[in-house]
Amino acid sequence: MNGHPQLEARGVTVRFGGLTAVDGVSAAFAAGELVGIIGPNGAGKTTFFNALSGVVAPTAGDLYAHGRRLTGAGPHRYAAQGIARTFQTPRVFGELSVAANIDFGLQFAGRHRKSSWLLKDEDSILHLIGLSAQARLPAAAVTPSQQRLLEIGMALATRPRLLLLDEVAAGLTEAEVDSMAQLIRRLRDELDLTVIWIEHAVTTLLRYVERVIVLHQGRKIADGTPAEVVRNAEVVEAYLGDEVAA
Amino acid sequence: MNPWRESRVRRLGQRLAQGLLDRTHLGRDLLVLFALTGWALAVPHYGSDFVVSMALTCLMYVALATSWALFCGTTRYLSLATAAFFGIGAYTSALFIDSLGWWPVIAAGAGVAALVAVVMGSAVLHLRGTYFAVLTFGMTELIRHAVTYWEKQVTGTVGRVLTVVPERDTIYLTVLALAVLAVAVSIVVRRTRFGLGLMGIGADEQRAQTLGVNTRLAKIGGFALTAAFAGAVGAAMSVRWTYIDPATVFSPFIGFQTVLIALIGGIATLWGPLIAAVVFSLLAETLRLQAPQAYLMTLGLLLILCVLYLPGGLASLRWSTFGQWREDTRAWWRELRRDKRRDEARENAT
Repeated sequence: MNGHPQLEARGVTVRFGGLTAVDGVSAAFAAGELVGIIGPNGAGKTTFFNALSGVVAPTAGDLYAHGRRLTGAGPHRYAAQGIARTFQTPRVFGELSVAANIDFGLQFAGRHRKSSWLLKDEDSILHLIGLSAQARLPAAAVTPSQQRLLEIGMALATRPRLLLLDEVAAGLTEAEVDSMAQLIRRLRDELDLTVIWIEHAVTTLLRYVERVIVLHQGRKIADGTPAEVVRNAEVVEAYLGDEVAA
Repeated sequence: MNPWRESRVRRLGQRLAQGLLDRTHLGRDLLVLFALTGWALAVPHYGSDFVVSMALTCLMYVALATSWALFCGTTRYLSLATAAFFGIGAYTSALFIDSLGWWPVIAAGAGVAALVAVVMGSAVLHLRGTYFAVLTFGMTELIRHAVTYWEKQVTGTVGRVLTVVPERDTIYLTVLALAVLAVAVSIVVRRTRFGLGLMGIGADEQRAQTLGVNTRLAKIGGFALTAAFAGAVGAAMSVRWTYIDPATVFSPFIGFQTVLIALIGGIATLWGPLIAAVVFSLLAETLRLQAPQAYLMTLGLLLILCVLYLPGGLASLRWSTFGQWREDTRAWWRELRRDKRRDEARENAT
């Protein structure tokens, strides 16, 4: 890992016309970290994610993967560097079977990357995310929560070193969130994957992650363990106040 | 046997079945292609000049529509630039046939068209939908006017007569070869990573990108491949016409007709464009002479019907489709009668 962080953002700014969605955010993510990103609506979480995965090019600032500058490169270059992501609303290939959806990532970004036996092939990934029984169904025909798992499976098929999860627990029941969190923990532990997890439901997220970054109006206002962050006055004022007190 | 092993064995079986299924499909596709080729090869031996000329038109549109669908159908990038590549091929042929000979000139037509497609694609392939369609159309017009202007300035006349012309059968066999090649390339591409990438672009381009597809490269490559076929067909057909000018070889109608054929046949299917190309060419030859208006009206009507009732195109037609239509019609009829009865009842009440 040549001492560099898996992914590093240095002063990343994203502007849409006059609106500054992300404002000079710097953060580094080391191998095996499980990091949560929280913030009120419109704090720039998803835009920051888009910048981290190359979907949006930053207006200013730089992105480095393993010390290599990636600013301005297309998303496929990020994928080739082992950065995978999911989308807030599942974007699976509906007409293809669940198995073929997994195969897609294996055919492209995951093709020449070595991997652990957990991500060896289509079957092992399906087994890992628990969709073996649905393998032959068209992806459009499975339930929304299964589609969300499939999204993660597609991202895993690129055999990543870093996984960006955008609100994967939204709309799931308590039990489903719990098994999702267990899956994410397991990925981190067994694959030494860096996981960056955005979630709107803060209390859910704080239970599972070890480090939290708080965004507010596009700026990073806190970065630390969940216990530190919930005591941070600025965070409490910006966002957490009611929810944590309750 | 532990459950993990067992499920692996079961899945291996499933995959094997899937693989066989794919292989039978491949066998079927190749067999159909083989049979059609054999049949088309025989046409010049027993057909009259009229039949051969009709078959030639058929094959021309088979090559154009199949190669168009190969890129535009799978990625949903609706290109109207077929006429541009066709015309470029035709002009390449007119300029170099005396010096190069037959096969090199066909290759040159394909090459020049592909080159132009790479330049054009780099400029417009980041646009989607209507913008892309309109811009490709605009660029076709631009190329047409540029060629017209250049011809006027350089040669002083617009239009060229091709004097050294190969035999009828040579042209026929060349266009047949191009049509077969277009179908064969489609069959192959559908089974490669390149084809999978194009499909991903058509389904959700950004998602495909984040999964590692270099979409820019794939799009430019696919566009150039389509253009190469149009260029080669143009190079072969210009010789058939013996006289070419920008208005005929860059005619937007060539582009529109290719798109219509592919749409009606089914842009996402392998055989759809071929089926529709044959139907169209037959319609064109039989109707255009006796009733030119009826031809265009039939074309329009067929397109409307297809878009409304057969969005997958002619190739998606199955026996069950007819059953579905019957069901729909009966349901519609029942509703109509119920409405009528209700209206009557209301009228009686008042």
